[in-house]
Amino acid sequence: MAVTLEPFGDTAWRARLPETGDGASRRALLEELRALPGVVDVVISECHALVVLAVGASPEGAREAIARTLAPRSASAPDAPTQPELREHRVLVRYDGADLAEVASASGMSSAEVVAIHAGTAYEVAAMGFLPGFAYLRALDPRLILPRRATPRPRVSALSVAIAGPYTGIYPFASPGGWHLLGTAVGFTPFDARTGAVMSLGDRVRFVAHTREAAP
Amino acid sequence: MITVVAVSGLATVQDGGRPGHMHEGVPPGGALVPELLARANAAVGNEEHAAGLEVFGAITLSGTATTLVASDDSVPVQLAAREPWRLLCAGARVRYVAVRGGIDVPKVFGGRGTLLAAGLGGHEGRALRQGDELRVGAPGSSHRPPLRSAPDLDAAIRVVPGPDLDLFEAGALDILLGSEFRVDARSDRTGIRLTGPRLQRVGDDLGASCPMVRGAIQVPPSGDPIVLGPDHPTTGGYPVLAAVVVACLGALGARPVGAAVRFVAVR
Repeated sequence: MAVTLEPFGDTAWRARLPETGDGASRRALLEELRALPGVVDVVISECHALVVLAVGASPEGAREAIARTLAPRSASAPDAPTQPELREHRVLVRYDGADLAEVASASGMSSAEVVAIHAGTAYEVAAMGFLPGFAYLRALDPRLILPRRATPRPRVSALSVAIAGPYTGIYPFASPGGWHLLGTAVGFTPFDARTGAVMSLGDRVRFVAHTREAAP
Repeated sequence: MITVVAVSGLATVQDGGRPGHMHEGVPPGGALVPELLARANAAVGNEEHAAGLEVFGAITLSGTATTLVASDDSVPVQLAAREPWRLLCAGARVRYVAVRGGIDVPKVFGGRGTLLAAGLGGHEGRALRQGDELRVGAPGSSHRPPLRSAPDLDAAIRVVPGPDLDLFEAGALDILLGSEFRVDARSDRTGIRLTGPRLQRVGDDLGASCPMVRGAIQVPPSGDPIVLGPDHPTTGGYPVLAAVVVACLGALGARPVGAAVRFVAVR
């Protein structure tokens, strides 16, 4: 099956990705695309891959190599990707979010049930984006899927743990935000000023309820 | 060393950006108007992407008599110890100051520019304030690259249509290419907001956030386009009608609030 590359401006290509890719294959794809000559940036989201070329590089010249890298292939192919190293992150959460009660009532559960469900799920980094170090974490329990808040907050505190649509995530920095706030990450920094984003595409993430301060 | 004697508006350290980190959610950064930073740098013998000051408003600086500075008008000035030097945007959207040797703030993820949303880079990750003291780098071998011309503030901005054309009504691209838009006051380094005729979408926002590039013309439900700037979020949820070509980013970024913007398709 041929891969369609759509021009995105004059120095980038965008391609639609199959929805079937697991974390390891998506990470491998990211690394392979980044290693192509002339490529300066790659962003892989749930449905798309973006490949940004160096200014002055010929987008047409890079097209074939990008398309070949994106093409589905069998695992036995000689250029099959090496298995990337995915990490698992455990994040302590104080479930004190301003929207916890509202989420509970919208989903017909108690706050304790919402916490148990949110902390009882293994998530996967579906995409990095929005802010440095922000991970869109997928596999949110369908009972917690809610549209974004009708009116975004002008300021959400750094380290807020929140949900919206099929995702959960941790705000690395204070910013405007329209997600529902469930709690606050404790002892975890999504973006390290020296080493960069702590979570990467395909990584696993688990939330652990910080019980000492969870009681009212 | 140069000292910030006074600032009004917003002034930050900016350079050629920090490409290569978008997969971590780090935007490309870089001067809003690369041509103007290059002109200031050329006047003091720096390479075109050396770190300088990006100023929306006005800034007053002082330094030693040996400090050579220039603005984007590319006339070098020797800073004397007791004579503050003032740069005023006046009618310009943004102006730049270069110092011979470049502003010597640490390189963070490949760039010295300030990313305010993350408190990253530049001088302590923040906007400059009165009293800040900035170290100046050692001048390299003085070279005089050909002086780049200032961006044309009247020329049509070239765009590549798409990639989300199917999420707009049939006439939306024609409206984008056939109308005059105006730069809105809410514009900043994350995006240049435009007002003009409404660009009609079909359906909702994108289901999941999609990768974005600088120059992408995103259309939120209001129908007023936002052209993503150097500090844009690396993913976004609004469909993109077209994207500005790299060579025209500066010509758009340099337009003052209220200025007219027209677009023309390159293919």
